[in-house]
Amino acid sequence: FFFLMIRRPPRSTQGVSSAASDVYKRQVSTQSTWDFQWCQRRSMGKESKSQFSLKKVKQYILVGRAKPVAGQKEEPKVYRMRVFAPNTVIAKSKFWTLMRKQKKIKHTGGELIAIHEVIENPSKSVKVYGIVLRYQSRTGYHNMYKEYRDTNICGAMSQMYMDMAGRHRAREETIHIVRTCVVPESKIKRAETKSFTNGNVKFPLLNRISRPPIKKFKAFARAKRPTLFLQQNNSDS
Amino acid sequence: MCIRDRYQRRVHGDLRNLMGFKRFVQAGRVAYINYGVDHGKVCVIVEVINSTRVLVDGPTLGVPRQVISLRRLALTDHLLKVAKGIHTKALEIVIKKEDLVKKIGESSWAKKLASQKRRAELNDFERFQVMMLKRQKAYLVNKDVAQSHGKKPKKESAKKAQQAKMDNNRIKHHFTLKSHQKKKKKKKKKY
Repeated sequence: FFFLMIRRPPRSTQGVSSAASDVYKRQVSTQSTWDFQWCQRRSMGKESKSQFSLKKVKQYILVGRAKPVAGQKEEPKVYRMRVFAPNTVIAKSKFWTLMRKQKKIKHTGGELIAIHEVIENPSKSVKVYGIVLRYQSRTGYHNMYKEYRDTNICGAMSQMYMDMAGRHRAREETIHIVRTCVVPESKIKRAETKSFTNGNVKFPLLNRISRPPIKKFKAFARAKRPTLFLQQNNSDS
Repeated sequence: MCIRDRYQRRVHGDLRNLMGFKRFVQAGRVAYINYGVDHGKVCVIVEVINSTRVLVDGPTLGVPRQVISLRRLALTDHLLKVAKGIHTKALEIVIKKEDLVKKIGESSWAKKLASQKRRAELNDFERFQVMMLKRQKAYLVNKDVAQSHGKKPKKESAKKAQQAKMDNNRIKHHFTLKSHQKKKKKKKKKY
């Protein structure tokens, strides 16, 4: 989560850094302008219907501040935060949790100025997203850097949550996202991600099963035994 | 890749090809979507995301650019020569140039699909016609088989000829119970 003043955030990475940490300092490329005009609701249309979906996590921008107190000389500072959450309710909750922890502004003593969902353009190209996160395990807190291939940041986030749950039994509530970035090919750290970014990647599909084309056609009682082998002309034999 | 590796590869081939696989998930592979909203349509794999998902596009094929699970795809033999991550417009040009739609239509798989679809669309009378034609065909085939096995061809009995004629008539006119019963009797007397 970035806590920045509303005036002007930095538009470029700060100075020279080593290859490893450069990735961590990189700004998210999707946030090219800190303007509310790019937080526009676009019609998802066909894209959302046919989209193969994991747990849907959305990106929100929340802006809030402490309530102005009578007699206070200065206007309270406004803070903007980028939150990944499945809905606005959880997004707001996360916002106030961190406002409380980092800025000492409670929900009761503060006001939410704006909440916008950030909708990225539909899938056009595959990118590698690097996510730095901090999560709580049963014995302590750990930092992690993970890479995921996806077409948008929310997809990568969904992958991350699933991955963390599967590998580390870390639930969504215990994961805090520190930083996200789009990683260029030269800076990819993980071998698996690297192997898939190779343009010549190819593999056959094995262990195929046939299933009815629509869920509606799935029969629960059948007259015949199921066919276990799908006749596919994939090998020379 | 060092020279030794390159030599190895040339001599022994890629392991995947050694195993005899012909169809791969790769950029440019034409695939058939067999589940979901777009099932029945053909698309081109634009980029491999990971071992389970793939970015797919079908500009003139009615498939919007989307991420799809490999579980929903069936690979075909066709492979387009495209770079990974090709844009929709560029892909459209390639598809038109390669005349992909025509090539797919000519494949036996597409023909099978078409015949399956036609079979599902048949009405009751058409199904009856099919049954009649099948029987005629079977008769001719069995006759031919019997001849090739050296059996003496039975003389075309008058009754058989009449039956064949009746079958032909049935295709024109409606099927009646009486004629069916007559035929059953005749069938019993065959051998």
